[in-house]
Amino acid sequence: MSLLARPFLTVFTTLVLLVAPPVAAQEALPMPEGEPLLTVTGEISVTNQDEAAVFDRAMLESMETVTFTTSTIWTEGPQTFTGVPLSELMEAVGATGSSMKATAINDYAVDIPREDWVQDGPILAYLNDGEEMPVRDKGPLWVVYPYDLNASYQSEVIYSRSIWQLDRIVVVE
Amino acid sequence: MAGYDDFSNRRTGWVQTGAATAALVLSVALVAWMALLVLRGVDDLSTANSDNVQWSLAQADVEFLRFRIALRDAEEDPTALESVRRRFDVFYSRMATIESGEMYRAMRDDPQFRGPRTRVRDFLSESVPFIDSPDADLRASLPLLAERAEQVNEDVRSFSLAALTAYAGISDDRREGVMQLLAYLGIVLAVLFVALAMVAFTLFRLFRLAQGRAHQVESAAGRMRTIVETSPNAIVVFDKSGAIREFNPAAERMFGYTRAEARGRSAMHLLLPHDEAEAQRHGAFAFAEQLRRPRLEERHFEVTVRSRDGRLFPAEFAIDRSEAGLPLYVAYIRDISRRKNDEAELREARDRALAGERVKSEFLAVMSHEMRTPLNGLLGTMQLLHDQPLSPRQADLLERMQASGELLLGLVNDVLDLAKFEAGKMKAESEPFSITQLLDGVMHTAGPVAESYGNTLSWQWVGAPRDGVEGDMRRLRHVLLNLVGNAAKFTRQGEIEVEVECLPGAESMVEFRVSDSGIGIAEEDLERVFNDFETLDSSYARETGGTGLGLGIARRFVKLMGGEIGAESEPGEGSLFWFRVPLAPTQAVVERLVEAWSAPEDTGAPLDVLLVEDNEINRFIVREMLDSAGHSVVEAENGREGVDQAARHRFDVILMDISMPIMDGTEAVQHIRGGDGASRNTPIVALTAHALPEERARFHRLGMEACLNKPVERQKLLATLRAAAAGENAETPAVEAAPASEPLIDDTVLAHFHRNVPQEAGARLLARFFDEMDDAVITLAKSGPDAADLAATAHKCAGSCGTFGAEAMRAALIRIEARIKRGERPAQGDLAALQPLWNRSRAELEARMAAA
Repeated sequence: MSLLARPFLTVFTTLVLLVAPPVAAQEALPMPEGEPLLTVTGEISVTNQDEAAVFDRAMLESMETVTFTTSTIWTEGPQTFTGVPLSELMEAVGATGSSMKATAINDYAVDIPREDWVQDGPILAYLNDGEEMPVRDKGPLWVVYPYDLNASYQSEVIYSRSIWQLDRIVVVE
Repeated sequence: MAGYDDFSNRRTGWVQTGAATAALVLSVALVAWMALLVLRGVDDLSTANSDNVQWSLAQADVEFLRFRIALRDAEEDPTALESVRRRFDVFYSRMATIESGEMYRAMRDDPQFRGPRTRVRDFLSESVPFIDSPDADLRASLPLLAERAEQVNEDVRSFSLAALTAYAGISDDRREGVMQLLAYLGIVLAVLFVALAMVAFTLFRLFRLAQGRAHQVESAAGRMRTIVETSPNAIVVFDKSGAIREFNPAAERMFGYTRAEARGRSAMHLLLPHDEAEAQRHGAFAFAEQLRRPRLEERHFEVTVRSRDGRLFPAEFAIDRSEAGLPLYVAYIRDISRRKNDEAELREARDRALAGERVKSEFLAVMSHEMRTPLNGLLGTMQLLHDQPLSPRQADLLERMQASGELLLGLVNDVLDLAKFEAGKMKAESEPFSITQLLDGVMHTAGPVAESYGNTLSWQWVGAPRDGVEGDMRRLRHVLLNLVGNAAKFTRQGEIEVEVECLPGAESMVEFRVSDSGIGIAEEDLERVFNDFETLDSSYARETGGTGLGLGIARRFVKLMGGEIGAESEPGEGSLFWFRVPLAPTQAVVERLVEAWSAPEDTGAPLDVLLVEDNEINRFIVREMLDSAGHSVVEAENGREGVDQAARHRFDVILMDISMPIMDGTEAVQHIRGGDGASRNTPIVALTAHALPEERARFHRLGMEACLNKPVERQKLLATLRAAAAGENAETPAVEAAPASEPLIDDTVLAHFHRNVPQEAGARLLARFFDEMDDAVITLAKSGPDAADLAATAHKCAGSCGTFGAEAMRAALIRIEARIKRGERPAQGDLAALQPLWNRSRAELEARMAAA
């Protein structure tokens, strides 16, 4: 693909906002019933297990979700991702910090600053092309940015923040 | 040079501008191209299409190792099976990403990478069933997995190393690309810099040029300002509406308005008085009214202008319209009041001078008349007294009185001649005369004086004689008499001789030499003798007296005639005075008068004379002269009386004064000739103090046969009367008598004709005249006395004859015409006589023409 053509690439990205029954802010989180997928700790005000907020798949699925289609540099062809916007997630846990330290099962770790927690920003995807993602295929949770939708997301920094196999988040000052 | 520089500058400017434009276009193109490249580069860099690939690849190795550790741990700790699955999944995920990720496409295509990749993929797909099997099975297969992992370990390693190498290449390419881009950038920047430098240089040059031009314009404007401000003439610039734009200091001084006051005002209404402005709006300033450029003849004019204090003065305008840019009228205005004043003063001075000259002339005329007339009276009376019986004592006294009187008359004449000459009124006259007769006359006149001193006087031709000549006889005679008179005065018992010689050469010079054997003149005095009022201190001079004007006048006369005069002398031996003047030879010689001067004492029969003269003294003198000669005289005091007398009695001859009260001489002659009185055909002799050749001609035309100058000399009077009456006394018919009283040809008239008509035209006219007259004379001779148009033909022919000086013919024709007009019939004899008279006239005219 030509370097020049990139900015003019037809973007097939669609953004679907599924308006689920909104989870009221500061609402107490239910206890996870299934296998825990994600543990959020640090500067948060909403917890459900000691100092942490633990999410299982059902809890994530019950939250407001976003679906968009984009290509990525790690996959072949356009992919449709469904997941909880990071902003939504951070609101749900009452994050007060300026950044989150996200760590993967493979121990990859990266900081995602608060300015990325925006609408139309990255999502915590749990569905790829409508299917759950196994650990062997970057699952079960993958932070995905709408790369094609927003050219500024096509940078090394953003790529490094696109952490897959995510299982821990620590919100820091 | 300036023009060439200008041109060269302009050309350089064009070249530079063209180069700058080209550089700019090139720069824009380069910048556009560069922008394209940079954008692509930036895009390339801004949309990173790779994760930190090296890390990912290295991570594959790490994750594989962790999987192997997990395998080993699980062999010892059965609870760690979950960790084996997790580590396998992580490694699997990594390899899946490498297999399918967009960023690893280039690497996947590398053949070096293909072998290890395939083997790792095989290991993964073979291991999946064991990993996904229940714990017991997994535990059982752990050694197998470990062994396989051991086998594939090298592939994972080499695969990651190969990948690294491939990516190093990609990185190099990219770096090279960036470097190339930077190089392009550098080149473009360099070109841009050069272009900018050229533009800057061009702009600098243009700036310098503009600066130079501005300076030139400024200095030109400065010069112009200086010219305008220092101009002594007022310079006023006004636009097409007439509003003043410029008003220089000279204009301020001339009109009294300051520049600030004048600007914007109407030039015509400010500078011209109201009525003048209105008048000139369609006059001198019509061009401004018609908004056009003044034509060449409209650019200079004079008008009256008005200054601020109301002074009106004449001014000269030089005006034109400047066509450069906005049309403006530029007027140079000069105050010409002084010039006008000067002109007026000069005119006045000239008028005064002319008036003075007129007064002088009049005074001279009065002198001429009033002084000479009584003097003549005195001299005439003395001459008459001579004829009376006197005692010797009385005769002696009378002699002295007469000498003094003549001296006085000579003085008066000399002074008048001098005054006339100095007034520039004297002109050389030209008439035909005989040199022989002239010299004879001079001998006759000067003889008595010469003889009185015991001298002999004679003249002779030297070389071939030339008798008939044309010239100013009167003045020539004057000069000769003066020289001979002088010779006589300064010679005692000697000889006075006059020699006449025709000099060779085109000018027809005739030299007259008067030599004497007198006392002579000293060498140092020779030059002085021709000066005015110069008398040599000699006993003779004291004895003879004189004004000292004689030779001065002689010198002037000779000069007037176009000749020269000189003297040579040897003291004690004698003097030689000579002069030469141009005298053209001619056939026409008026012999009558010259003959008359030298005629012997009148011896003819007594004549019956009518004397018409208003001056009592003159009348008395002339009467006495005539009486003493035995003629009978009837007197008339004016023209009217003369006409009456002439009508009553037929006289032999009439003496007619010209200037008279009641009726002057010319009018009286017309009456006598035109009337039918008894003396209508009597010869008439004019008496005048101022007979010019033209007047003589006029007298002739009026029918006067001769002319006598006052003062009247006795001998001349008698001779002239005798000559005039001769025709009548012969008792021939009137026509036959005419030649006696009228010359066949009047040379004065003919000479006049020749002077005024070009030779060729003259010859043509003469030929036509001959033809006309030949026919007319035949017609007149053949036609009877009663023919209808006899008078008209005679009149016409008389006019033609008058033009060519055929005087006798003319007179005969006039007489015929006059008779018819009086209602008489012309005599058949008169008509018949025309033919022979014309034949003679024609022959004579042809002879004159041939001679000329």
